Amino acid sequence: MTPGLRRLGDPRSAAVGAGPQGVPVAVGRTRVEAVSEEWVVEDRWWTDAPLRRRYFELVLADGRNVVVFRDLGAGERRWYEQRG
Amino acid sequence: MVVCLLVPRFPLLAALRAWSVEGKAPGELSGAPSASLLSEPVALGPPPGGVQAVGDASPAAEAFGVAAGMRMGEALARCPELRLVPPDPDAVRAGWGKVLDRLERIGAAPESDRAGEAYFEADGLRGIHGGHLEGVLAATRRAIGRRVRLGAAPSRFAAYAAALRARSRGRPRIVSAAAVRAFLAPLEVGVLRVRPELAELPEVLEQLGVRTLGELTDLPAPAVAERFGHPGLLALELAHGRDTPLTPRRPPEPVVERLDLPEATSGMQLERALALLVARVLARPERRGRSLRSLVLSARFVEGGAWRARATLRQASADSERLRLALAPRLGELPAPAESLAVEVEAFGPPAHDQERLVHDEDSAAAERRARLGEAVRQVRAAAGEGAALRALEVDPRSRVPERRTVLAPFPAEESASGGRRVRPRGGNSPEGSR
Repeated sequence: MTPGLRRLGDPRSAAVGAGPQGVPVAVGRTRVEAVSEEWVVEDRWWTDAPLRRRYFELVLADGRNVVVFRDLGAGERRWYEQRG
Repeated sequence: MVVCLLVPRFPLLAALRAWSVEGKAPGELSGAPSASLLSEPVALGPPPGGVQAVGDASPAAEAFGVAAGMRMGEALARCPELRLVPPDPDAVRAGWGKVLDRLERIGAAPESDRAGEAYFEADGLRGIHGGHLEGVLAATRRAIGRRVRLGAAPSRFAAYAAALRARSRGRPRIVSAAAVRAFLAPLEVGVLRVRPELAELPEVLEQLGVRTLGELTDLPAPAVAERFGHPGLLALELAHGRDTPLTPRRPPEPVVERLDLPEATSGMQLERALALLVARVLARPERRGRSLRSLVLSARFVEGGAWRARATLRQASADSERLRLALAPRLGELPAPAESLAVEVEAFGPPAHDQERLVHDEDSAAAERRARLGEAVRQVRAAAGEGAALRALEVDPRSRVPERRTVLAPFPAEESASGGRRVRPRGGNSPEGSR
């Protein structure tokens, strides 16, 4: 990254509870009301640091719309929240 | 090599010096030199109207468990003999300004964001101080005096860590480029708090069991970036002995006008004093026709101590009425009766020559908009720092990965004022490619 530049929309760690199919059921303490959309992003598979994410666009019980993803890479498979 | 100069408790020393010189120190403290006052349990009191917590504390006060940032009640409970010194931001600024001036006299270009801490590049000075780093450090010691800690290392952060480990009257601590990682490795992660943007990181690292900088550098960079984002990467760079380049201060052009006030001056009299000070500042020959961008109103209190308030103008101006209107509301914030009032110019603007155009056309209207935008950006930067005005720049808007679509980049104030050229990234590559 060039000095002086900063990315917008960097993912942030999120506490997401998931059901048996890996579909989020809660974000923090807020229940998930509905899953609006679901998609998978695979990129940079030709490099040493491939990117593989399963995204969910959610409607929460408090009315918020959030986008979360689970990192499916070789790491800890953690959940993140991201502004699209 | 970067040299770091540390003067521990500088704000307390400066306030003590001003306090004892003014003769307002009570009892046996009055008239004593400020250095010997440090052997008493003294601490900086809370700023007028600010949070009720003590500032820097003397070693004697620290021995009772008093620490900077501690609530007043707790500090006085731990050390009932504790004497509080009113903070004196004016004395701190003036005193530290003199230290930086002395550094500049030996050829250094110092960077200093905090009173008591300064950095400068030593490589360019070797030639005029004996051809070696030790000569530069000896010249610094001669210029500043004995009671400073000096450290030298390849980066700002490593130089700070070296200075922390140097003794005030002892030899400067020099860390070579080859030894910098080994020097930093055993240090506790708490030393990262010297960078304001990393103030909260050490606590999290300690909770995760990362206690030293060496343990931090053992972690893979992608994992640190994933868990901590930009602060994590910066911490990693610092722990490896790398840092951003220094940005030396611009030597100030001191334009200050001070007026002694009769006791119990308030209301209308204060406003008249302010009008007089503004007129005097505008009449100073150092202004050379320039407008004023940023001003500081300061006061010394009858009971000792001082107060400062900064006012950055929306539009740089040399109009006395406008300047008075910008500063007058600050008079209402004065927390105690003042014995003197001062106005200081902190930053000048462009020459004052606002002149309307005779003929308006599309180009001139656009140029005027750009000039106003540039002016606004400069104003924001004067008020909130260089990194304050940014713009969102689309670099890969169609990327499927959201964080690659847009970056925040510094807003080009000069460009918007002169030509308004747009900066476009080369090709369609995402910034990930250069990571």
